Order: sequence, then structure tokens, then C-alpha cells
Amino acid sequence: MPSFARTLEVWNRRLHYYLGLYFLLFLWLFSLTGLMLNHQQWFADLYDRHEVSYDPDIETPAGTTLAEQTRDVMRQLNLRGEVDWPASQPAGHIDFNVARPNGAAQVRVDLNARHAYVKEFENGTLHAFQIFHTFSGTRFNQPATNRDWIVTSLWVFAMDALAIGLIVMVVGSYYMWWRLKKRKALGLAALAVGLIACGSFVAGWV
Amino acid sequence: MLYRWLRDLHLYLGLFISPFILLFAASVLYLNHGKLLPGVSPAARTFRGLRVPGGFDRVKGAEAVEHAKTILTQVGVEGEIGFLRYVSKDRHLILPVTKAGSETTVDVDLDARTATVTYRAMNLWESLAYLHKMPGPHNAAIRGNWIGTRVWRVFADGTVYLLLFISISGVYLWWAIKAERRIGLVLLGGGAVTFVGLIYAIVR
Repeated sequence: MPSFARTLEVWNRRLHYYLGLYFLLFLWLFSLTGLMLNHQQWFADLYDRHEVSYDPDIETPAGTTLAEQTRDVMRQLNLRGEVDWPASQPAGHIDFNVARPNGAAQVRVDLNARHAYVKEFENGTLHAFQIFHTFSGTRFNQPATNRDWIVTSLWVFAMDALAIGLIVMVVGSYYMWWRLKKRKALGLAALAVGLIACGSFVAGWV
Repeated sequence: MLYRWLRDLHLYLGLFISPFILLFAASVLYLNHGKLLPGVSPAARTFRGLRVPGGFDRVKGAEAVEHAKTILTQVGVEGEIGFLRYVSKDRHLILPVTKAGSETTVDVDLDARTATVTYRAMNLWESLAYLHKMPGPHNAAIRGNWIGTRVWRVFADGTVYLLLFISISGVYLWWAIKAERRIGLVLLGGGAVTFVGLIYAIVR
């Protein structure tokens, strides 16, 4: 075998299990939470959460934009997470929601009274675990939504890396299988069944 | 013996679910970064003289879905009913019906016995994202009201179970290669540190 082909084969095999080992815990998280999302009936009281309300005085939020003022209010209230604003703001108010997997808060700020009304929720462990599956800060069918928390961007980067890692592993596995002369026929049958089954759904036949 | 069995199962089961893994992985990129911009208004078609079952003002859940399916048959629409919205003011029933490749909205005037059907084609990325999210947690009481969704649920679950098997068997197969243990442990540890670090940064 030429040395290039030999090197490719060795490194392709190594890449397959190096990526698999590095992403193992991420893969298990997304696999198990995917199963949870599809089987809500398995979990009683999944959405039970602890709720606390309070209405502290605040200082006039620093900043000129809505985002800057919101961040300052969050700093004063010690809140962290991905922010979501309603489509419009009442005059003299800043209203927003802030969320992360283990909790969320609804905040209404009266700028003239320098007073905030906060309703804070703490999610249960299983619910928080499930939210990691979908915690991306955006929705593709709501183009106006954007990520605004650096930690969400890091999590999304991890999701993307896992997705690309899996694609690389699958493509690499095709090459490894194709080099195994004795397993071509059965492998081809397994791949064909998978392709036909998956393709039928993508094409909308099923 | 165990090694050879696991190696073969890892290979063949992996090849079988590989298209599903590619689907779930590729759709992640669209779900995280794609933006669905409003397109042209979908074309509408009106159907008249429908046989409309009664009781939409009181039936709910699976029973309401069964009633609605009799209307879908008459207007030639098939797919998963997302939800049912009964508008009591003008006695309309509105239901989105979706499958990969198409999104149809059926608006039934219960008194006039007419239905306006609007159809929108999905692009490939939308179809992949749709399948990624199906059946999902929403409206669990009526989810799987179309055979296609029920079959897809089996494949989606199967992908998870097989992925768990393949990842565990993969760890076993890696451990059998003594020369790769050290670097593998470093990567496994590095992945675990990244994972725990990210989770901690989010929930702390």
C-alpha cells in the first residue's frame, strides 16, 4: 500500500475514535435529552418549578440602548442568562425575560419609580437537563431572535462542533468500511436499508 | 470472541443508522444558524360541500383529531396535525398539517362546510429540521396522529438506542488497542473537562 494511503488509513481510524472519545459526554447528553423530549409521558412533574417573586428598588439603569440598560438591570438584580424582549416596550418601562436551563425570570422595570418587579423560576434537575438540548438562544423560524449571552454562544459552538465531529466520523467510517473487503456486501446492505428508510422520510414519502 | 462480535455490530449497526446521524447532525447547523425568511404567500384552494362532523365545540384531544381527519381525507391532505384551534366566534376550525417537505394549513368554515387549504413547500433544510424536532414535547396528547410520525418516532428512538450502543462498544474497541489508551484517556478527560466546564458556566 502506498505510504500516503497507509497514513490516511491510520489517521482516519485515529480521528474516528479520538473524536468519539472527546465528544462522548456531549453525545450522551444530546441522545438522552432527545429521548426525553420525545417521551414526555415517562416523566411525572417534569415541569414543576420553584417560583419566587420580589420587587426591589433599583438605580436608574446605565446605558443608552435597551440592551445596555437591560444588562445593567440584570447586574443589579444578579440575574444571568439569555435575554428575550417583548416586541414593544411600554413607555417608561423595560420589560424582559431572562432564561438559562436551570431557571428563568420575568422582569418588569418601572424606570420613573426606579422599581423592578421580578418573578424568578427555578427548574428541576431533569427539566434543566432537557433544556440543554434546545438551548441555542435563537429559533430559525423567528428570524428576529438573536443570541446575546456569550455562554449561550459557547454552548452553541459545542453543539456545532459535535455535529461536525459526527459528520466527520460518519464519513470516515464509510472509508474504513470500504477498505474491509470481506464486509462490503453486508455493510452495503445495512447502509442501503438505512438510506432508504431515512430518505423516505426526508422526501416526504412517509 | 466478544471483541469480534462487538466490532461487527459496531460496523453494521453504525452503517445502518449513519444516514440518520447525518440528518440529525446537519440539521443542528440549520437549527442553530438558519433563518427562515418570509416568502411569498402560499396559494390557497377552497373546497366546498364537505361532510363536517359535529361537536368541534366540545370534543378535545385525540377525539377532536379523529374528527378532523375525516375532513383532511376530503381535501386530500395528509400529515401530522400540529394542533386544532376552534374559533367559536365564527365557528371556524384551523389546523396546521405538516410532514417533511410541506406545511399545509386547513381553515374549515364549519357552518358553510367549506375549507380553505393553503400549502407551503419546505426546503431541504427545513425538512431536516422538522424531522429533527419530531415528535418532540409539544402537544404530546395528540402527537403521533399520523402514521408517518409514529414510524419516525421508532426510527428516532432507534437512532438514540443504537448511538448509545455504538458509543459504548466504541469505547470497548478503543480500550482493546493498548497503544492508543494514553492519548485516548487524555481526549476523554479533555472532553469531560470541557463538558463539565460548559455546564457549570451555564448553571452557576
